[in-house]
Amino acid sequence: MKKLSYILAALVGLSMQFAIAQTPKGSILIKNATVITVTKGTLENTDVLVQDGIIRRIGQNISAPSGVQTIDASGKYVMPGIIDAHSHVALDVVNEATAPIVAEVRMKDVVNPYEIGIYRALAGGVTVSHAMHGSANVVGGQNATLKHRWGSSNPADIIMQDAPRTIKFALGENPTRVHGRGNGIQPRSRMGVEAILRNGFSEALQYKKRWADYNAAKSQKGNTMVAPEYDERLQTLVDILDGKIIIHCHSYRADEIYMLINVARDFGIKKLVFQHTNEGFKVAPEIAEYTMGASVFADWWAYKFEVYYSTAFNAAILQKNGAITSINSDSAELIRHLYHEAAKTQRYGGMTDDEALAMITINPAKQLGIDDKVGSLEVGKQADIVIFEGHPLSSYAIPQMTFVDGVKYFDIKEDKDDQRQQVSATEMVEPIMLTEENHRCMQDTEHLFETANALFSLHNH
Amino acid sequence: MRKTLLKASVMSIMMGGFFGLQTTFGQSDPSGKKPITSTYAITNATVFANPSSEGSKATVLIKDGVIKGVGNNLTLPAEAKIIAGDSLFIYPGFIDGASNAGIIKQEPPKRPDNFVSSNPPDEIAGITPWKSAIDQFDISSSQVDDLRKMGFTLTQIIPDGGMLSGKTALVVLGEKNSTNLIKENVALNASLNGARGMYPGTTVGVMAKFRDVYKNTQLTKERQATFASNTGISRPELTPTYMGMMDVIDGKIPVIFNVENDLEVRRALSLQKELGFQLILSGLKEYDNVIDLIKSSGTRVLIQLSVPDDKAIKAQKDDTDESVKAQYARVKEAYDKAIAQAAKLEKAGVAFAFTTSGAKTNDLMKSLRTMIEAGLSEKAALAALTTNPASILGVSRFAGSIETGKMANLVISTGPIFQEESQIKHVVVDGNIFDYEIKEKKKNGANGNGNGSVSIVGTWDYNSQTPAGSSGGKFVISKDGSSYSGTITYQDPSGSGQATSPLKDISLSGSTLSFSFDVNAGGMNLTVSVSGDVSGNSMDGSMNITDFGSFPISATLNPTLIANK
Repeated sequence: MKKLSYILAALVGLSMQFAIAQTPKGSILIKNATVITVTKGTLENTDVLVQDGIIRRIGQNISAPSGVQTIDASGKYVMPGIIDAHSHVALDVVNEATAPIVAEVRMKDVVNPYEIGIYRALAGGVTVSHAMHGSANVVGGQNATLKHRWGSSNPADIIMQDAPRTIKFALGENPTRVHGRGNGIQPRSRMGVEAILRNGFSEALQYKKRWADYNAAKSQKGNTMVAPEYDERLQTLVDILDGKIIIHCHSYRADEIYMLINVARDFGIKKLVFQHTNEGFKVAPEIAEYTMGASVFADWWAYKFEVYYSTAFNAAILQKNGAITSINSDSAELIRHLYHEAAKTQRYGGMTDDEALAMITINPAKQLGIDDKVGSLEVGKQADIVIFEGHPLSSYAIPQMTFVDGVKYFDIKEDKDDQRQQVSATEMVEPIMLTEENHRCMQDTEHLFETANALFSLHNH
Repeated sequence: MRKTLLKASVMSIMMGGFFGLQTTFGQSDPSGKKPITSTYAITNATVFANPSSEGSKATVLIKDGVIKGVGNNLTLPAEAKIIAGDSLFIYPGFIDGASNAGIIKQEPPKRPDNFVSSNPPDEIAGITPWKSAIDQFDISSSQVDDLRKMGFTLTQIIPDGGMLSGKTALVVLGEKNSTNLIKENVALNASLNGARGMYPGTTVGVMAKFRDVYKNTQLTKERQATFASNTGISRPELTPTYMGMMDVIDGKIPVIFNVENDLEVRRALSLQKELGFQLILSGLKEYDNVIDLIKSSGTRVLIQLSVPDDKAIKAQKDDTDESVKAQYARVKEAYDKAIAQAAKLEKAGVAFAFTTSGAKTNDLMKSLRTMIEAGLSEKAALAALTTNPASILGVSRFAGSIETGKMANLVISTGPIFQEESQIKHVVVDGNIFDYEIKEKKKNGANGNGNGSVSIVGTWDYNSQTPAGSSGGKFVISKDGSSYSGTITYQDPSGSGQATSPLKDISLSGSTLSFSFDVNAGGMNLTVSVSGDVSGNSMDGSMNITDFGSFPISATLNPTLIANK
């Protein structure tokens, strides 16, 4: 089949690059599993048929079409691939921290498909991650939504090309510390953060008008207007105002969350998701009414001043108030067991199995604008699937196999000791960094506040 | 007084230039350095006229910087100085695709009082496309001597600076009294490196800024055209940056992008695909995964002439458990893959060339031999040093091979050029002959681990010649089992008196002693690499200091009362 398509491609004169640009799609039949669809209930003794990367059938007694491999999943649990709405895995650069607004930078430019964190995430059942710019700027760069197609050397292969554009915003201590305290420029306070946002969007409106005026005038007879300056930074803000980009905003305090809701309402912005949102429980009805919800930690706070006031019931309170709620990792370590993180919402808030699992599947998919493609087991969706030994919300759950587009990228039985794609030719032992410092929201900003470093013990989330 | 001196030096430079061009003049040569002729014949040598050549006996006649004839029945003019070439091998002068040799490091520009790091002036942020490498070039630099000694005769010099550092230039590595310039404004040098502590600070920022500068140059050009042919149009703002970029957006000159690995190759290619400029990729070290892409995109590539050091794989021990052995195997595999990349590129049919930028000059030939051992054909290796760079740089008309009418750039060696025993005896650049001393290499009976007749253990007194004057000190080497350790004293560059550093990577291969050490000079850490030939109680060699070039060093071993066992 693959060979044939290559030959066809050669026949019709398509370039080799085009053939390579097609990411692999697999066909499998998973038999006799407990299928947790998340959106359509849990089905006992059920089969899932995947063909060419798409879920074709979910039902009983499905027989494998010829050439389709069958996997016996008796006694096992099958669920949709886990989606992490906040991650920095597989990025060579996290922060272009040098200006309060860097909307023009694209994380897709610096995706690194060799990073072992991708494989570790797969081993934790995570098939999609949201590779975000850091939180050093009020408006950070444009993020990349990744599909964990481990093994490719081409960054384009692990970028989910059909996902909508998203962008990072950040409020509070990080942007004021980097710019205000670190460099002596706006914003120095939370008021400055709001001013940066309002000024930025106002400038973007003027920029949009300049180009609209020029485009209207240039075909007119006797036109004396010349093209305005091109500015991708402002153009990106225009795209946000035009609803083409989803904002994902790093935030902690209720007042700043409510501030951004007001800014968004004033500028007619509807595509907005809050990240971290530790005081989200205080403004849950507002988040539910005006935004695409919040993506939070299960039970993690008190790592800096603005995030002392929080609760492990945050996710449940947000959810009960009708906000789309997801649980994220922001960490190369937590990303390996997001199913444990989701389970904590049952201990703190009594979520049902489906509600808890939705927080790491269909809800983050909604926040990334990809819920029509992934996030649940439904016919017609992309076949991102995990097979678990034990119920995924049990403490004893262990992912067995992880599939992206029906292709198996992780199998616990074929898990070699050394899964690195790239090995240094000159170092016998490469440094392994799997520590708390793997939270990289503030990576690449160190040089900006060397003096501040001496004054404050910095914590980087 | 100073003025007179200056005048005299200007005069001598002018006169020098004069002598270089004229064969007759009405005055004796005050410098005494003028060659008696500019016509040379290297007779009956084994000539490899181009990479495909099998080598045949011939005489090469050159006059005034041009090859006048190659063959066996040449009529040699009376003024020709004859160099008996019977035992010599002649190759086309090597061409370096891109180099920093002779480029003076640029001081970072002073920040203005109203400096804002989020929106710095272009010049401070490393965006200086109007600058030219030729303005930063010093032909008297020891780096130029070092590169020429390795057989390089022509190079593209790369301006120092940030993400868009300026225009490259083509120069010959010739006489000190000439500009040596062939062509300015050859390509725009670009990198993905950000400016420190200001915008754009990282690769993502640099890529965004590159798009911004490129697109605004296009718009500036449009505005300029409208302004030129209409009335009532506001004057377009012509900044040095946009003016410096014009030739790039017009497709007149390529962008030479410095990229080390496959991911950076893809980043440069994605910018090119998006914006549509001409592209040369330079400085590739890890490119195994993009060989097909390089081939299918037809991009011109300059591979860094270096190989990874083999210390890690040499340090592997036998008496370890299976898991460590598995790790060893992967490092070995990575090393083998790295050194075989050039061969793979050859097999893919990519006509690549080399760049010495970022490579250790003294190790160039050794690296090349490693690549050849890993499968690169000698023919492709020679092509990558001659015809391929000539074609990539657009100088095939006059450089890259030994043919009548081409520039007299030659490498003359004592044996086949890629053989370890061969030494370069002369390098001819632009018709000027540079002679090099041929060293007697002692055959070492032992297997190269230093157990033979050469002993390096003991206290050495050394002396080195640097532009700052001569300096010296002691280094002490002791042996522990099969490995060496030691220390070196030197004049403390950040103060007075002597400083001491431990020696690193001490090795004795045949009669060649090499080691390195770190020097702290005013907060900057410099690595000094020393390599020399040991003969009895003396050593002669060179000392290489990162970014500064290499300088001669000699040392003598003090007699010891303890017998060497």
